[in-house]
Amino acid sequence: MKRKIAVAAALAATMLAAACGSSDDGGTTPNADASVDGAGKTLKVWLMVDAQSGRKNVVDEANARFTQATGAQVQVEYQQWGDHLAKKDATLAGNDVPDVMELGNTEMPKYVFNGAFAELDKNQFENSANWLTGLSAPCEYEGKTYCVPYYAGARVLIYNTDLFKKSGLEAPKTYADVLAAADKLKADNSSSKFNAYYMPGRYQYAGLAWVHGSGGEIAKQEGEKWVAKLSEPGAQEGLTKWKDLVDKYSVGDKTKNEVDQAQIFAQGQTGMMYGASWEVGSVQEQPKDPNDPDSPKVKTKVHGKVAAVAMPEIPSFLGGSNLAVVGKSQNQDLAAQWIKVFTDTKSQELLIANKVLPNATNLLDKAAQVEGNEASAEAAKSSWFVPMAPKWADVESALVIQEMLGSIASGQASPAEAAKKADDQINTILNS
Amino acid sequence: MSAVDTPSAPARPTRPGGPPQSHARRRRRRSASSGGATPYWLAVPSLILIIGLLGWPMLRMIILSFQNMRLRELFQGIAPPWVGLDNYTRVLTDSVFWTVTARTVVFTIVSVSLTVVLGLAIALLMRRVAPSVRIAMIVAMMFVWAIPQLVAAQIFRWLVDSDFGVINYLLTQLGLDYVNHSWFAKPLEGWAVITALVVWAGIPFIAITLNAGLTQVPKELVEAATVDGATPWQILRNITLPILRQLIIIVTTLSVIWNFGVFTQPWVIRSGQPEPGYQTLATYAYTVAFKNNNYSLGSAISVITVVLLFGVMAYYIRQMFKIGDVD
Repeated sequence: MKRKIAVAAALAATMLAAACGSSDDGGTTPNADASVDGAGKTLKVWLMVDAQSGRKNVVDEANARFTQATGAQVQVEYQQWGDHLAKKDATLAGNDVPDVMELGNTEMPKYVFNGAFAELDKNQFENSANWLTGLSAPCEYEGKTYCVPYYAGARVLIYNTDLFKKSGLEAPKTYADVLAAADKLKADNSSSKFNAYYMPGRYQYAGLAWVHGSGGEIAKQEGEKWVAKLSEPGAQEGLTKWKDLVDKYSVGDKTKNEVDQAQIFAQGQTGMMYGASWEVGSVQEQPKDPNDPDSPKVKTKVHGKVAAVAMPEIPSFLGGSNLAVVGKSQNQDLAAQWIKVFTDTKSQELLIANKVLPNATNLLDKAAQVEGNEASAEAAKSSWFVPMAPKWADVESALVIQEMLGSIASGQASPAEAAKKADDQINTILNS
Repeated sequence: MSAVDTPSAPARPTRPGGPPQSHARRRRRRSASSGGATPYWLAVPSLILIIGLLGWPMLRMIILSFQNMRLRELFQGIAPPWVGLDNYTRVLTDSVFWTVTARTVVFTIVSVSLTVVLGLAIALLMRRVAPSVRIAMIVAMMFVWAIPQLVAAQIFRWLVDSDFGVINYLLTQLGLDYVNHSWFAKPLEGWAVITALVVWAGIPFIAITLNAGLTQVPKELVEAATVDGATPWQILRNITLPILRQLIIIVTTLSVIWNFGVFTQPWVIRSGQPEPGYQTLATYAYTVAFKNNNYSLGSAISVITVVLLFGVMAYYIRQMFKIGDVD
């Protein structure tokens, strides 16, 4: 009962905030090139926690340049991924809003569609002609731009070089190489906990990557309607291929998603896994206190024994984040200006040095030259993105894809049955 | 749960089959002697608190359930349109809702039965053991009681983790094949884990309360029954349980109310993303409202849940009044 009351209270608090928040007078597009005297003003910026744990120097450097140019101070608050959307929904409903907000690129369309952010003038931002489409497409709505790409991430094949050497293997170049390597590793390592290729069952950006690798698609817009396509032959082939890999080479929990995979790989009992590019680092060094990203790093069992290549024949999901000016912000020009500084070539080059992929194609080649970045820059060249439907985020939050993959991996449903069910759910959600 | 919801004092059962006619007389006297408006003034602060913290949000929630509040209205401060009973029709005709309701009811029945039976068993055991052991039992249970739900759920999540969990490790050491066994692949197994957690955390309250009640069972009565040749089972059924009856009813209704609204345990054990097979009414309402941003539909689900619970709560309040009379 009390929990329900808590939910009701939270709901009511949100509503109350909504009732008090008058709508903004709309007005003109924030101008990133305006000369604003920001002295005495403080810009509130909400970034995700990775900016603090992985690349704080980029933030500090951009803030210094911004303050020098405008005189305004910057107050950055770092958000956790866990339940950040509920927090942001409640905040955006009120009047005390941050000026700049970072959102994951798959989360963006919902907010753009519902009018949370101010329209921007694309041409004022550096490299905007070459923005990666996986990042910039979610920012576009009815021909207008509402956010700016910040960084990208690709998924790559991460492998244990020590185990590869012991089995006399080389970095795989084709999908057949991957399977052959997995067979050899499985034969050479008899432990029942050994994963030749670790693949958790509910890993949606893996399962869907295999779908795209076989020429499949998730959903397509046909006229006014969205039509789910997971039951089509290409998607089915991909799902079956993915299931074979899970069945043969992964002994992990079929109901887990990918959040634990760096820890599992770090135990040294895994030959290969499909991970985000930054996981190459996180499998080798982990903070001593998992709750404190600033605590000293400790080396794991696989330290210095990890390498990555682009996963052959499997196009990567292009993840990443975008930055937007909040529609209710009182400092929209300053906010746009901060984004401009934070995403210019200079900031992007610093990002690249931190082994993060930049926001534009013309910078990708530079990224590929940084040691440790080659695999992800290569993977980003062949990438895919989720359907650009305003309601796609609801498909994600309803766990439709995870459920489908989980039931396929655990053998509860065949790829055809599971895809049929997922297609029905996707059609309902996207067209509701 | 915290002590806020618990009855302020453990009920003191009267002698079995106490004379009912005395109640009426006493009640009449009490109401006659009470002094004017003073009691109402004394109740005002708590009434204001209840109305502010409970009544107002409830009212907003009910209003919301007749509107269609989505993100657009939330972000832009637009008044949400009125949709009448649309949300209720949608919820009540949705098979998912009924599956979730059925699951919540089954979970409540199973978990409450287990908690009450085990709690009673432990309370009876506490009467039999040496005082030092009894104190040790009470202290241990107090610790269980004191652990916040969130922490307990995290601990259980790690205990049964398929890759790092100690349960799989121990079962494997015993010679069973539990390497990387997933406890949540089949909802039945997963619910067994969640039920174990809820029952484990619920036992202390019931055992300690019933233990207090058991101290009121007159020794002479039990001795007399033993002399007359009653078996322990007969003593339990014909003497102990009738005396504890009121108390058992109270703790059972309270457990029903708590367990019917179970949220934290499945939510945390499934890492904040419960699969469809792990949704209860409370998590389902939250998911619909805050994850799918369908605030009005989520409100409608919550309102229906409250209505479903009204029967249980009315029964609980009646029992409370009965006990008040006995006092």
